[in-house]
Amino acid sequence: MDQKTLAYINMHAIIGALENLCELDPEASAMVANEKPLVIAWDVAGGPKATMTFAKGRMRLDTGILPKHNLKMKVSSCAQFNQVVGGKANPTPVPKGGGVAALKFMLNDFTKLTGRLEKFLRATEEDLADPVISTISTKLMLNVIGVAISQIGDYDPVGKFSAKYITDGDVQISIKGDLGVTIRVKDHFLTTIKQRPETPSAIMEFESLELARALFDGKVNAMSCIGQGQIIMGGKINMLDNVNRILDRVPLYLAA
Amino acid sequence: MQTYTYPKSQEWFQRALKVIPSGIYGHKGPAHGNFIPVENWPLVSAKAQGTYMWDVDGNKFIDYMCGFGVNILGYCDEDVNNAAIKQMGVGDCLTTPTHKIIEYAELLTDTVKSADWAFFCKNGGDATTGAILTARHHTRKSKVIFVNGFYHGVGMWTQKIDYPGIQPGDVAGNLYIPFNDIPALEKVLAENEGEIAAFIGTPYMHGIFKDNVLPEAGYWQKVRELCTKHGIVLILDDVRCGFRLDMAGSDHYYGFEADIICFCKALANGWPVSAVCGKDEFKPAISSLSFTGSYWQSSVPFAAGIAAIEKMKKIDIVKVLKDNSTKLCNAFDAAAKNNGFDLVISGEPQLFYFRIANDENMFAHQQWIAEMMIRGVFLTGHHNHFTCAALSDDDIKVTAEVADEAFKIVRKNNPQLQYSN
Repeated sequence: MDQKTLAYINMHAIIGALENLCELDPEASAMVANEKPLVIAWDVAGGPKATMTFAKGRMRLDTGILPKHNLKMKVSSCAQFNQVVGGKANPTPVPKGGGVAALKFMLNDFTKLTGRLEKFLRATEEDLADPVISTISTKLMLNVIGVAISQIGDYDPVGKFSAKYITDGDVQISIKGDLGVTIRVKDHFLTTIKQRPETPSAIMEFESLELARALFDGKVNAMSCIGQGQIIMGGKINMLDNVNRILDRVPLYLAA
Repeated sequence: MQTYTYPKSQEWFQRALKVIPSGIYGHKGPAHGNFIPVENWPLVSAKAQGTYMWDVDGNKFIDYMCGFGVNILGYCDEDVNNAAIKQMGVGDCLTTPTHKIIEYAELLTDTVKSADWAFFCKNGGDATTGAILTARHHTRKSKVIFVNGFYHGVGMWTQKIDYPGIQPGDVAGNLYIPFNDIPALEKVLAENEGEIAAFIGTPYMHGIFKDNVLPEAGYWQKVRELCTKHGIVLILDDVRCGFRLDMAGSDHYYGFEADIICFCKALANGWPVSAVCGKDEFKPAISSLSFTGSYWQSSVPFAAGIAAIEKMKKIDIVKVLKDNSTKLCNAFDAAAKNNGFDLVISGEPQLFYFRIANDENMFAHQQWIAEMMIRGVFLTGHHNHFTCAALSDDDIKVTAEVADEAFKIVRKNNPQLQYSN
């Protein structure tokens, strides 16, 4: 497994999922109810750089380090960052104005927030029996997987091989209804947008949340589902073919 | 027009799901076969005759996939099947092969211009694998040049690093270049001097999901020249095109000579046999290989293959297919134009590929293919098609009528697209 790819997944798919968690889960939203924004940047040497903004019950993750941050979390390498996300190492905090409050947030509420995220992303069978938890969990998983696809296509050596064969356009991965993500491909670089495309070049749609959940958990086989019409495909299938080859590598990283 | 439904196909498919991975796997199944939407497709067939196939619901199709190319004379051709049946009464898979293997090899070497010998196996992938092993043994080198968009079977060496089950070492010696690109070939030769065993390509680029591309003037001659200069074995994968462009081989059709040429599909009108043929120079190398199989020397397919080749020669199969396919493509084109569609038809007519260009994302094309299907015309949206000798003018007429109705439906359902009239 490639540590750089995993670092990008941890940053954009996992930490980035806090955006959706705060939208979907009132308990998580309440943890970031502060009016004044807390702006915290991640600076991973040789890896992802991104800025988290927490305010008014929401979280936003921007790519790059925003100049007006309260706290910068410096990490020496991608492998070290992956240890940090796994709770096995600590970053070096570099406070600026308002840095004390931000540091306090990182030590307390942020930890609770990520704990809440983990509850949904690693939901047990018992958790999933609750339809509210199951729904939030599945929606989060769709976003996490969608974002992870782009990171693997952009950084993983085998993923990049697949991306080399994807033409420009928007691939829609969705669940029947209104849930969906866009994998936007431009010059073989992939970017995930957490909503459906207006004009998809290709579509892969799961017939229900339950089916999506079963697929994410590896309980059903995608090929059988296509044969039974439970996964609908259309448009430029060659794009889907290659996105699916990248999708096939997602569990390798998410299980890390 | 009456449209089809498939309740019995679905019943069989549900049974299949319980005992067969993904129900029906591979290119003949709904997932890899791109059955979009799956409810418009027959999943299980019952019988076939000539150019027609019937499914288990009794729906009749004019089949333009021809079993993905194996049907060239017509399904259940009487002459071929009688030869096979006669051989069945004598013996098929014996402890030593019957003389049919020798007769068949003699016939193939008399028929195919670049063939001094013939080595038989079962599938096209066996033949291409045999060719690569031969090239590697002959040259004592490992790397192989592929042309982007290729398909040479499912052996591990033919797959790509991102395919399920493939490890980097399986494809470590694979080099990829674009089709019709001599500078790219020269570059890869320079970068891998002394390491390349083979160049493998199809007569023209008939890859899936995209317009098929014919060789530019002088392309193959230059490839031949470079392979000879660098001591690289030139392998022609004629599995798909073989005997549809030229009975003497598709290298002969495009004016060059391959070192090794691979056949399958049309070789015995659907009876299971494939062949690696080549020049004398490579006979010692292929003779040395540890490469065989339980059924590779079965006599029934050889008997069928002899009958098939003799009949193909007798009826001038290439002319028959080209004339019929050209008529068919013209009929599709006319139906498209009549309804304001831009139907881009590419490749050689005998193996035509097409797509509706009004919608660059292929949704309209997939809808049209699906509408054709439920009206009894079996096409695919991603792969080149095939015709057989049994295709009649009446079949083409019926196809054109179905195409016209299907175009009208797609146009009605897609008012957002631009049409030419």
